[in-house]
Amino acid sequence: MSVFELFKALQSSAFGRFIGSLDHLFCAVLELGHIAGMILLLASVLLTSLNLLGLGLRSVPLTEIQRSTRKLFWTGLILLAVSGLLIFIPAATSYYSNDFFWAKFILLGLALLVYFTLYRWVAARDSNKIWLAKATGGLALSLWLGVAFAGRFIGFFA
Amino acid sequence: MSLVEFAQLLNDSEFGTGLRESVYMFPLIEGLHLIGLAVALGLLFFVDLRLLGLFLPQVPVGQVLHPLRPWLLVGFLIIFVTGILLFVATAAKIITLPVFFYKLGFIALAGINALWFELKWGRDVGHWGNAATLPSAVRFAGVTSLTLWSLVVIAGRLIPYLSYQ
Repeated sequence: MSVFELFKALQSSAFGRFIGSLDHLFCAVLELGHIAGMILLLASVLLTSLNLLGLGLRSVPLTEIQRSTRKLFWTGLILLAVSGLLIFIPAATSYYSNDFFWAKFILLGLALLVYFTLYRWVAARDSNKIWLAKATGGLALSLWLGVAFAGRFIGFFA
Repeated sequence: MSLVEFAQLLNDSEFGTGLRESVYMFPLIEGLHLIGLAVALGLLFFVDLRLLGLFLPQVPVGQVLHPLRPWLLVGFLIIFVTGILLFVATAAKIITLPVFFYKLGFIALAGINALWFELKWGRDVGHWGNAATLPSAVRFAGVTSLTLWSLVVIAGRLIPYLSYQ
C-alpha cells in the first residue's frame, strides 16, 4: 500500500468519517489543544535550550531545569500528537500534496532524534563542554521552531 | 471617522492589501505571531507556576522572574508588532467580530494584573520571594495571569475561525 492509499484509507475509515462529520467548533477545540501543547513543549525546550546557551535561568543547574520541565514537555508532546492526529485523519489526503506538511514531519523527525539522543545526553549532566552545550541548545531550539513554522505554513498552502 | 471606517481604510491601504495578498509574507507574520506567543506566554506560564509554587519551588522567585524578563518582553514585542500587522491586513473583517474585542479586553485585564503585580510585589521580590509558599495575593496574581492569557489565546484562535464563516 502506498502512502497516499494509506492516507485515503484513514480518511475514509469509519473513524475518519465520524471525526470529519463533527461540528466545526470541535475542530477549533482540537486546534486550541494543539496550540496549548505547542506552548508547553516549546516553552520547555526554550527554557532548557537557553540554559544550554548560557542564557535565561543561568543560576539554576541544567539538570534541575531539565527535570522540572520534563513533565510539561511530555504533556505538550502528547497533547500535540493526539490533537494533531485528530486534525489530520479526516482530511488526510489533502495534506499529501502539501510540501510544508512533509517539511514539518522531516523537521519533527530530526527534532525528536536530536532530543532523544544528543539533547537528553547533554542535559543529564551539568559539566558539559561549553561548545557542546551551546551547539546542542541551538540545534534543538532551531529544529523545534522549524517544526512550528512549517506547521503554521501548512494551513496557508492547503 | 468611525472605527469601522478607519479599519476599512487600513484594510484597503496599499500596505494592508499587499500584506493580505502576499503569498509568503502573511504566513510568515502569522508564524512569527505564533512563535512569539510560545516564547512570551510559555515563559510567563513558568513564572506563574513559580508564583503558585508548582515550578522550581526551591528557587527564589527573583531568580526566575528577573532572568526571564527580557525574553518575555522580546516575545511580547514580537506578538505586538506582528499582531498589528495582521490586524492591518485583515482589519475590515476583524473589526466586525465581537471575539476580537473580547481578546483586546482580556489583554487589557491581563496587563492590569501584570502592572499591579509589578508595582505592588515585583519590586521587592527579595523580601517575600524566598519562601516555598508565597503570599495569597501573589498566588492569586499567578492564577489570574494563567487564566487571562489562556482566554486571550482562545479568543485569538477563534478570530480566523469566525472570519471565514
